[in-house]
Amino acid sequence: MVDFKITDEQQLIIDNVRRLIRDEIRPLEEELDPDAFSLPESEKDRLVGMVKDMGLYKMDVPTEYGGPGVDLVTRTLVAEELSQHRAGLYSPAYGVFGSGPPGQLYNATEEQKEKYLWPVIRGEKSSFFGLSEPSGGSDPARAIKTRGVKDGDDWVINGGKLWNSGADTADFGIVYVRTDPSKGREGVSAFIVDTDTPGFRVERLVQVLRAHYTTELSFTDMRIPKENLLGEEGGGFALANEYLSMQRIPYSATGLGVAIYAHEMATDWAKQRETFGQPLANRQAIQWMLVDNEIDIRTGRWACLAAADLAQRGEPFRFESSMAKLVSTEGAGRVVDRSMQIFGGLGMSKDLPLERWYRELRIRRIGEGPSEVQRIVMARDLLNIRSGS
Amino acid sequence: MRIRKPWTEWDDEINFKSLPGAMGVFEIADEDRKTIYIGKASGKSPFGLRGELFLCFADTERLEDANWTHPKMGQVLPTIKEKAKYYRYEVNHMYYSRWIEILTRFNEDHGRLPPANLEDQEDIPKLGRYHWKTQESAMED
Repeated sequence: MVDFKITDEQQLIIDNVRRLIRDEIRPLEEELDPDAFSLPESEKDRLVGMVKDMGLYKMDVPTEYGGPGVDLVTRTLVAEELSQHRAGLYSPAYGVFGSGPPGQLYNATEEQKEKYLWPVIRGEKSSFFGLSEPSGGSDPARAIKTRGVKDGDDWVINGGKLWNSGADTADFGIVYVRTDPSKGREGVSAFIVDTDTPGFRVERLVQVLRAHYTTELSFTDMRIPKENLLGEEGGGFALANEYLSMQRIPYSATGLGVAIYAHEMATDWAKQRETFGQPLANRQAIQWMLVDNEIDIRTGRWACLAAADLAQRGEPFRFESSMAKLVSTEGAGRVVDRSMQIFGGLGMSKDLPLERWYRELRIRRIGEGPSEVQRIVMARDLLNIRSGS
Repeated sequence: MRIRKPWTEWDDEINFKSLPGAMGVFEIADEDRKTIYIGKASGKSPFGLRGELFLCFADTERLEDANWTHPKMGQVLPTIKEKAKYYRYEVNHMYYSRWIEILTRFNEDHGRLPPANLEDQEDIPKLGRYHWKTQESAMED
């Protein structure tokens, strides 16, 4: 059973991160565009230096790869702190804590690690994740139509991808391709694709509800050397699944951070704003909203920590990871919605970050697996149903 | 993609009410209809697109009798002051990512940003690549 007691070391890390967010990031945001998702380079460099001094730069990179190797439970606690600012949901701390390579690359060959994993760790290269296609994203085993055909020492890939954040600025991507159409999930393979490969094209930047955009990609007779096959042929789906389940936990905690900040703001406002001669906080309607906020936040936090604890101990955690994602993203959406209601008209304005979080949290119920798919995953575990291949 | 609207020549007599006070993106062009600036009316723009366009084209006196004025009136970028003749805009609440999209497209087509954006102090995030150019880029260069 998970022990929810935070250790002294974890508290020290949380305090350091909290100070940086509140004393450095939030004041800087006052000067930025309300929808900005990046800092001016000079400020970013300064803050990256501070994070390196804390020993927390690229905290998810294991020690054997030269990183701090911060464990998953601690990273989940930190994720909750990192997002407590205006841009925090999708640009936690504006990236000044850095991020490690996509988890799949730790399973790469030594040559692939040399060419892709190490440059990402050194900050020389960035990547994107190419799974979803116009034909769907929730059921990649069936939806992947992008086709890879072996031709001599190469694979020739034709097709396209959708919803690839960062593909327009990335140096390479991990792209999932159907290499055997006669099989379901066992017919999908993962490839490392350099974005300067002939035939690789960003068709358009796709505008969505949030301040950042995503991309639509096309691949036309794109030749990828066989050395760029990641893992086993036909093993792509398993690679993606493991990576997505693990990612889901800190991703969920990030949403909670925004809810915590919104709840703090709403609570302060309820205490100071008076209507009809009394503070809002004296009204039962408002009190219930605040209590419901607190319940949503605590439920989400426990779900995230329970999932992180199981994953860290090497036990099955897929059910808990899906539950954490479902509970925290839906709960965070409700918290922000109630907080806007408490603020009234001001809650709708761009003077406050609430409207931005409201838009972004709506996406969160879809991104990284919609709420309905999380329920399907949990139902399969409960009922011991094997998903169709 | 770029803003798909015809260029409109700025008219000093324009009724400001005909321009939207909403958030959005806009392009400014010279007399050859070549883009010299890609801008946005952000959540912090006090009068939305209307204010930003007046800032680019009008002088301070133009709004002397008006009940509004952009606080940065008169602080126009040199290239805009010298060359601005046409504009086109798009009301868009996702102004920030749309602004980056238009800048990215222009940068890919021309290998550089519009001249007035280079003069601007506005911080532009790292722009991406499409790995292809549009047909209109050949006509613009």
